[in-house]
Amino acid sequence: MPERIDFVALRCSSCGALDIGPTPICRSCGAEQMDETRVSGGGRLASWTVIRRAPTRFKGQDPYTVVVVDLDCGLRVTGRGIGEIESLFAGAAMCCVGQNEETAFFDLAKEQQP
Amino acid sequence: MRDVVIAGIGSTVFGKHPDSDIQTLAIRAASAALADAGVARSEVGALYLGNFVSGPLTGQEVLAGLVADGLGLPQIPCTKVEGACASGGIAFRHAYLAIASGVCDVAIAAGVEKMTAAGTASMTAALNCALDNRSDGGSGLTFPGLFGLAWRVHEQRYGTSREQVSAVVKKNKANGLRNPLAQMGASLTNEQIALSALICDPLRLFDCCPASDGAAAVVLVAADRARSLKRPPIRVLASVQTRGSARIAGHLDLCCFDATVSAARLAYTKAGIDPSDVDFVELHDCFSIAEIIDAEDLGYIPRGEGGIFAAAGRTAVGGDRPINPSGGLLSKGHPVGATGIGQIFEAVLQLRDQHPNQVAGARIGLTHNLGGTGVACTVNILGGPDA
Repeated sequence: MPERIDFVALRCSSCGALDIGPTPICRSCGAEQMDETRVSGGGRLASWTVIRRAPTRFKGQDPYTVVVVDLDCGLRVTGRGIGEIESLFAGAAMCCVGQNEETAFFDLAKEQQP
Repeated sequence: MRDVVIAGIGSTVFGKHPDSDIQTLAIRAASAALADAGVARSEVGALYLGNFVSGPLTGQEVLAGLVADGLGLPQIPCTKVEGACASGGIAFRHAYLAIASGVCDVAIAAGVEKMTAAGTASMTAALNCALDNRSDGGSGLTFPGLFGLAWRVHEQRYGTSREQVSAVVKKNKANGLRNPLAQMGASLTNEQIALSALICDPLRLFDCCPASDGAAAVVLVAADRARSLKRPPIRVLASVQTRGSARIAGHLDLCCFDATVSAARLAYTKAGIDPSDVDFVELHDCFSIAEIIDAEDLGYIPRGEGGIFAAAGRTAVGGDRPINPSGGLLSKGHPVGATGIGQIFEAVLQLRDQHPNQVAGARIGLTHNLGGTGVACTVNILGGPDA
C-alpha cells in the first residue's frame, strides 16, 4: 500500500480560510494572497463511482474510480480512488496517497474506526 | 416591472438531424414560434439564443446574429447565452427581463444544439467543458459520474432502490412514446434497465439521456398587448435564475442542488404560490436519479421520497404529482442549449390543453433547467389562461 501523505491545500494569508484550489483570491474574504499549506490527508469517504466510459483526456485509463473525500480539516475533495472498488463504503476512513497537477489520489486507510 | 406572456412556441423534433446545419434548426423553430404567435418579424425587439458548444461541435459561432439574419429580423440586439445545460433557460429569462423592464415589447427566446454528427470522443470532451476542469475535471469525473456520486448518497440516506429509480426511467420512456417530438420513447422492463450497460456505477445506459440535435423557441410579449394575439396568452408568473457551487468542493450535500432549492423558493414567492399549487413539472432529468433529486429540491415532492413517489405512479401523467409528461430529457432528448426552451414549449402545450400527454385541468406548470455541477439553475412558473 502506498504511503500516506499530507494534502497540499491553499490557505488565505489574511483570514486563514482553506481552499482546495486553484484559486487566485480567497473565496471567503477576497484577499489576494493564497499560500500553499499542508493539511492532513486523512478523511472520510462521502461517495464514489466507477467511470467506465472515460472522456478523451483520460482515454485508456477506464475503468477507474472517482471518490469524494471529506478531509479532516473540513475540505471536500474530488479525487481518484486506488485499490478495490468493492471494499469502499460510505464513511470509510480514507487517506491521501498522492497528488499531482491534475488530481489527488486516495486509498482506504489501514485502520477503520467507525 | 411589466407582466410578460408567452405568445407563441415552435420546436423541431429532438433527435438526429444530419441534413440540417445548426442555424437552420434554430431558424425553423423560431419561425414556427413567430407564426404560432401571429407576430410580425418587424415587431421583434430582441433575440436571445441558448447554446452550449456550437463552436467545438459544429465549428459555428455568432449563432444569435446568424439566426436573426436568417429569420429576416430587424437590426436588433441578438445575444447568445451559455450556462451549460441551463443555456436555454437563461436565454428565456433574459428575453423575459428585456420585456419586463420595458426595453422592448416583443422578444424571441430560442435554444439550439447539434451534437450527433460529432464523434463520441469530441462530444464527451465538449460536455466536460461544463466541469471545473482545474478541480473536479482533473479527477476524471464525468457528468454521469457526478450523478453516480449523488445516487449513492440518496440510496444510503433514504434507501432509494434500483427499482424505484427504474420507475422514473420507465415512466419517462413511456411518456416519450406518445410525444411526437421525442427522440427515443420506449416500453422498458425493470430487467432491461437493470441489465443495460454500466456507465458510472450505479448508473446504467437507460439511466442516461441521449445526445441530440434540436431547437426550440418561444415568442414573449408584454402582457398589455396580449389582446391582439392569435392564441390565449400563457403568463410568466416567475422567471428565476440562481447560481450554485461550480465545484463539488462547494456542494455540502451531494444529493441536493442548492441552486435549485433557492431558485424554487424565489419563484414560488414571486408567483405567490406554494409547491402544492403546481399542477405539473418539466424538470432536468439528465439522468434518472436527477429527476428524484430535482423534484425534492423543488419542494414538489417531500425530501427523500422521490423514489417512493415514482414507484407508486404518483409522478405519472395521471398521478397527483406529474413530472415530465413530455418524456423529459431521458426520452425526449437533450440538445443541450435547446432543452430549457423545449421544457417551456411542453409546458405551454399543457396550459393550452393541447399536449399529447395532457395533465387534466393543468393551470400552473413549472419548468426547471440545471447546468454544470449545479452551477446554474433557472425555474419558471407559467400560468394558463385561467390561472
